[in-house]
Amino acid sequence: MEILQFALRKIIGGIPLILGVTFISFLLMVYYGPDKTYELLGKNPTAEQIESVRAELGYDQPFLQRYVTYLREIVTLDFGNSFSSGERVNSILKRTMPISLAVITPGFILGNLLGLVLALVAAYHRSGWIDKAIMGFSVVGMSISFLIVVIAFQLIFCSSYGLNWFPSRGWDVYSLSDYLRFVTVPTMATIFVALGYNTRFYRAVIVEEMGRDHVRTARAFGTPPAQLLYRSVLKNSLIPIITRIMFSIPLVVISGSLIIETYFGIPGVGKVTYDAITQGDQPILKAVVGLTAVLFVLTLLITDILYRVVDPRVSLK
Amino acid sequence: MSSASVAAENTTIAVRGRDSLWSKAFYKFRHDRMGMVAFALVMAYGVMALGTVFGWWANDWSEIRGGRFDPISADFWFGSNVNGQDIFARTVFSTRTAFEVGLVVAILSTLIGAVLGAVAGYYSGSWIDELVLWLKGVLDSIPFYLFVAAVAFAMQGSAYGMHVAMVATFWTTTGRLVRGEVIKLKQFEFVEAARAIGLPELKIVFRHIIPNTFHILLVQATIVFVAAIKSEVILSFLGLGVKNGVSWGRMLAEATYEVGAGHFNNFIWASLFMFGLVMAFNMFSDALQDALDPRKV
Amino acid sequence: MTAPVGKKPVLTVKELVIEFQTERGVVRAVDGVSFELYAGQTLGIVGESGCGKTVTCLALLGLVPTPPGRIVSGSIELNGRNIVGLGDREMRNIRGRDISMIFQEPMTALNPVFTVGNQLCEVIRRHTDATRRQAHAQAVEMLAVVGIPAPAKRMGDYPHQLSGGMRQRVMIAMALSCNPSVLVADEPTTALDVTTQAQVIEQMVLLQEQFDMAVILITHDLGVVAETCEDVMVMYCGQVIEQAPASGLFTRPSHPYTAGLLASIPRIRRERLQELPVIRGMVPDLLSLPMGCRFSTRCEYADQRCQAQIPSLRTATGTDAAVACFKPLGEA
Ligand SMILES: Nc1ncnc2c1ncn2[C@@H]1O[C@H](COP(=O)(O)OP(=O)(O)OP(=O)(O)O)[C@@H](O)[C@H]1O
Ligand SMILES: [Mg+2]
Repeated sequence: MEILQFALRKIIGGIPLILGVTFISFLLMVYYGPDKTYELLGKNPTAEQIESVRAELGYDQPFLQRYVTYLREIVTLDFGNSFSSGERVNSILKRTMPISLAVITPGFILGNLLGLVLALVAAYHRSGWIDKAIMGFSVVGMSISFLIVVIAFQLIFCSSYGLNWFPSRGWDVYSLSDYLRFVTVPTMATIFVALGYNTRFYRAVIVEEMGRDHVRTARAFGTPPAQLLYRSVLKNSLIPIITRIMFSIPLVVISGSLIIETYFGIPGVGKVTYDAITQGDQPILKAVVGLTAVLFVLTLLITDILYRVVDPRVSLK
Repeated sequence: MSSASVAAENTTIAVRGRDSLWSKAFYKFRHDRMGMVAFALVMAYGVMALGTVFGWWANDWSEIRGGRFDPISADFWFGSNVNGQDIFARTVFSTRTAFEVGLVVAILSTLIGAVLGAVAGYYSGSWIDELVLWLKGVLDSIPFYLFVAAVAFAMQGSAYGMHVAMVATFWTTTGRLVRGEVIKLKQFEFVEAARAIGLPELKIVFRHIIPNTFHILLVQATIVFVAAIKSEVILSFLGLGVKNGVSWGRMLAEATYEVGAGHFNNFIWASLFMFGLVMAFNMFSDALQDALDPRKV
Repeated sequence: MTAPVGKKPVLTVKELVIEFQTERGVVRAVDGVSFELYAGQTLGIVGESGCGKTVTCLALLGLVPTPPGRIVSGSIELNGRNIVGLGDREMRNIRGRDISMIFQEPMTALNPVFTVGNQLCEVIRRHTDATRRQAHAQAVEMLAVVGIPAPAKRMGDYPHQLSGGMRQRVMIAMALSCNPSVLVADEPTTALDVTTQAQVIEQMVLLQEQFDMAVILITHDLGVVAETCEDVMVMYCGQVIEQAPASGLFTRPSHPYTAGLLASIPRIRRERLQELPVIRGMVPDLLSLPMGCRFSTRCEYADQRCQAQIPSLRTATGTDAAVACFKPLGEA
């Protein structure tokens, strides 16, 4: 009951955020965005044809009314049809989102896990050479652009100039082995890029926690290292860790990884979004923005509930 | 002592504390060998970029001087690209592009972050604070590439769409940090004293509070600089960034069609130069943090 | 030092030297500290902030942060066994079982995400072979012993649900739960309000008798020292400058620094603070210590010899006190 009330309060509290995100995006993308009328018309359109297309696109309505229509679309989760393919936006998303999730999830999880492990190792050997080596690699990793990693990995693993073990583009997945064939290189690239940042972040969190009084108390009572790391350090660092992971989820789920998908030719949400950007396919863009905002609010809610779960000092207020 | 002189006294104390922070930081930075090397490297890149502004070199980056994929030679230090343009000139000129974007975005987003963060922190809990936090939340929740594209549309293809979009999204972290610091600073005596003698609030914020967050701003500016360069390259690669100039991102975009055919010069040189700058700047930024943050781990 | 006849000390510290590697150079935080401690005895350590009290005690548990810290030389014999240089695993078996430590900040010293019961049981089960159930029973008992009302109910509380005094009692319960031979209390009451301070100290004294422990008590409150400690050790810049039975020290201090410390106790609390005699000058920086006696820069009796040579600890004539001074007060 308490949780339900809390959830309701949070969702209502999230409305200004959704309004803000959608309003700004709508203003920029749709109101100031490109006029699609003539792209949708044949050659030498009559005035009537122009009128009818404009009406179809909603251009004849006043700005506010069009924005309200957009909000209604978000509430009903119905974003109409894509300008370029004419397919329903919903069915596009339904088709592409699972692909994006399948592409990005392994890298996301492994990137965070590995980062956490490396951070624990580094923090445990703080200022020793292991720590210095790990942190040195992190800075190098942080300094290599995602693009370079993607191009280089494709060259190394997917081309005849390198090992040529994996397909370079596409997504022909019908079985687990197909999946592994197509997902491995993107996953490695994702991990490589995220690892430096994650390791640094987690190490800072862990080192901060290791300096706390209660950790010293635990050591003064003979707690062995593994227990110390788990009970005193990890359990107490969960709030920043959860925050970081949770808030990357909305962007990962909705936008997928735009670069990975465009570069590896994977038909996920990221690729759809990129194509929509270059073609000015507003229904799709509106859906992506709207859903991201909604997901952010839900994330805020879930994150707060998780805080409550991991830290007895937090109360749901 | 009159309250005015108390305030003055306290301000000088705060200022003196700040001075010693900076002189200590300067001392520490001077003795950070890695930091100094990184700084020197950044400066070298800066000179490379400045040289193109003064027309000393690399201004022929768009000229077609050679053949298709000429190999490395005395004429073409890094070879030539598909159009017969000099890859060396293009690589060097891209440094200028990167610095331009990095500097503009770092400076503007730091300014905005400082002002909005300080005001929000000073009036924390009030509607002004709420408003800034809301704006920050909103800007953080719009998918970045979409936002850049939308701003570019809205600005009708202006060359600065990318800059505007980055400034609009990158100030939020600086703003959050400054806000937190100001909430802490607010409780210090020098602020109370300044308020007690009736200094106007905005003056307190700009003259007494923001200067005490300079160490955060400096570090944050370097971090934003790096983020801006990396984003510029990706956006230019995707065709959302630099349109009429040259950028490492555009070179990498060309490279994607070339590496499959065995032409690596665009890829290698753009990657190498970009990596060098970002790495040097990251290390410079780290050294700054080490020097400025007594608690840095 | 009051050595009880026929008893062996539980703790013997000899010539302990501890250094820290800092950015500005090597700091010798503890410089040749020696003392003995017997069961049932309480040793008070006093001295200005930064003189090395905490570091000395951390060394007893092998908790000097390394790096930057390092035990350079000396020995620490606990129940007849030198624990300096002991491996991590062996050290862990000693901590909490043979020697326990209570820290200054009850607010932050307990793990905030586990219940106090859980933390107590954890310690008990680590050092004994009690079952879950036995450990629980013993934990409840310990909470009762340290004077926490409704202990069984408190077991399920998280630290933030307890008051500062209660938390410090929980810390004491935890420290005593495995019946250690030595209890180190580093300013256990500094963070508490005055009434709670008195209660907690009283409780500690009672428990010490009950458990027949040796106690090291660090505090800035000389009143507490006078009430609770048999012996007092006065530290200055990492060195012991006077060590004496509490009774003698308070009536007849030998070292000018001790005398200064005593003189600075407000007779009537909190009144006319400005007029209190204070030791002039400042504690010297550990990186640029004076050549001779470390107190010579602030001492009104200091002469050339004091400035050139470091006095070693010796018995002052006519007292039980050991003092490191060329011109102790009683002798001149
Ligand atoms: N982690 C550390 N790194 C560097 N130096 C340290 C460290 N811990 C202690 N020191 C040095 O050891 C000296 C003694 O510190 P210690 O904590 O023992 O003082 P103290 O007597 O307990 O003071 P207080 O009464 O304030 O608790 C300090 O002056 C400091 O220079
Ligand atoms: Mg101490």
